Amino acid sequence: MKTAIRKAISLILSKDAELLNVLGTTVRMSLSSSLVALLLGVPLGILLGTSRFRGKNVISVINRTFMAMPPVVCGLLFYILFSGVGPLRAFHLMYSVKLMILAQIALITPIVAGNMESFSASIAAPVMETAKGLGLKKGKTFLLLMNECVFQIFFAFLLAFSRAIAEVGAVSMVGGAIAWKTNVMTTSIMEYTNKGDMPRAMGLGIILMVIALIVNVITHAVEKKVAREK
Amino acid sequence: MKSKALKKEYGGRVVLDVPEMEFEKGRVYAVMGANGSGKTTFARELVSGGIEDKSVRTGYMPQKNYPFRMSVKKNVLLSGVSEEEADRLLSRLGMAQLAGENAKKLSGGETAKLALARILGKGFDLLILDEPTASMDVESTLESEKMIREYAEDKNAAVILITHSAGQAYRIADELIFLHKGMLFEKGPAKDTIDDPKTEEARKFISL
Repeated sequence: MKTAIRKAISLILSKDAELLNVLGTTVRMSLSSSLVALLLGVPLGILLGTSRFRGKNVISVINRTFMAMPPVVCGLLFYILFSGVGPLRAFHLMYSVKLMILAQIALITPIVAGNMESFSASIAAPVMETAKGLGLKKGKTFLLLMNECVFQIFFAFLLAFSRAIAEVGAVSMVGGAIAWKTNVMTTSIMEYTNKGDMPRAMGLGIILMVIALIVNVITHAVEKKVAREK
Repeated sequence: MKSKALKKEYGGRVVLDVPEMEFEKGRVYAVMGANGSGKTTFARELVSGGIEDKSVRTGYMPQKNYPFRMSVKKNVLLSGVSEEEADRLLSRLGMAQLAGENAKKLSGGETAKLALARILGKGFDLLILDEPTASMDVESTLESEKMIREYAEDKNAAVILITHSAGQAYRIADELIFLHKGMLFEKGPAKDTIDDPKTEEARKFISL
């Protein structure tokens, strides 16, 4: 174990090319999918949390159901759609990072939307009542609402990123865990472990935990700032 | 300006059923009544299209004051007042030293003063204030009352002031509207109504 950890640290410090490639693919995929999920999920969540319209409850229930979707089910769905016999095979996205990003967007957008829905619902009534009482226009009211949600949007991004970077089921199904192409940290850890290459598996595990630590330190700092504001 | 006859039900229970009322510019109307008498529902119904003339600019300060996530002064500037006027309003309420503070950090009483300064910065034809001084100290309450009275006169606005304090109604209101179980029980000159309520319900409430 100690030897494996020592070797893992030396691989990280020596900037091992394969490790760097896996790390680059992981960061590219996780950041892209989190950002797109944020762009889609934040407006959807705020819409669900602050508006009344026909079919809202149906959308809300569907979104919550998707929040609980197992990653392998998501992977299976994308596999069926984009595989050689699927209706979207013409896009030739199977076993590509692009499809991994799409699958992750489908997985994490509902989480971002659900998170924003709960938060915006809790503050929408007083914000909108105050803004209406002041005679502010709808555009200004929306901006004020967004301003109240700034920290929550940041939390939602961190949540989405954490989920994306740690996800393994969907990305391995649609990405195929191909070395130097679609292998990300989680799928690589599985692969290296199966091959018995413990130093590389441990090295990636250490990097993953360091990223998780950084995300949590940032979350904690933001939480403290929010608490100070209250 | 004239309000419509307003009726509101929740789950089959009538919580508000009041006739049309006339509100004159430059006057302050105190709305009193026990908890659950329909005062806030009356205010909300007035704001949500309860005034016949759609061109009447109606402002509303809710009972629960919401400080937006920005400085105290920026909150006041949301009303569209000049920087000088915002400073003057805050200063009158003893909030000048808090102008640059984050509004989320204010105490309950300070938040109420901020909300009052913010709403008084804007010119409305009809301004509805739902218990604006409920969490303020005596000094701030008296200054707020002066400012509300001045607002009605200077901006030529009708002010509807929801309050639990007969003393406050006596000090600044021209007329008093007394609600009981969602119904209008009394409407008349504030001082006369407080000195000599016509209904038993109003007499009981005011004498407490």
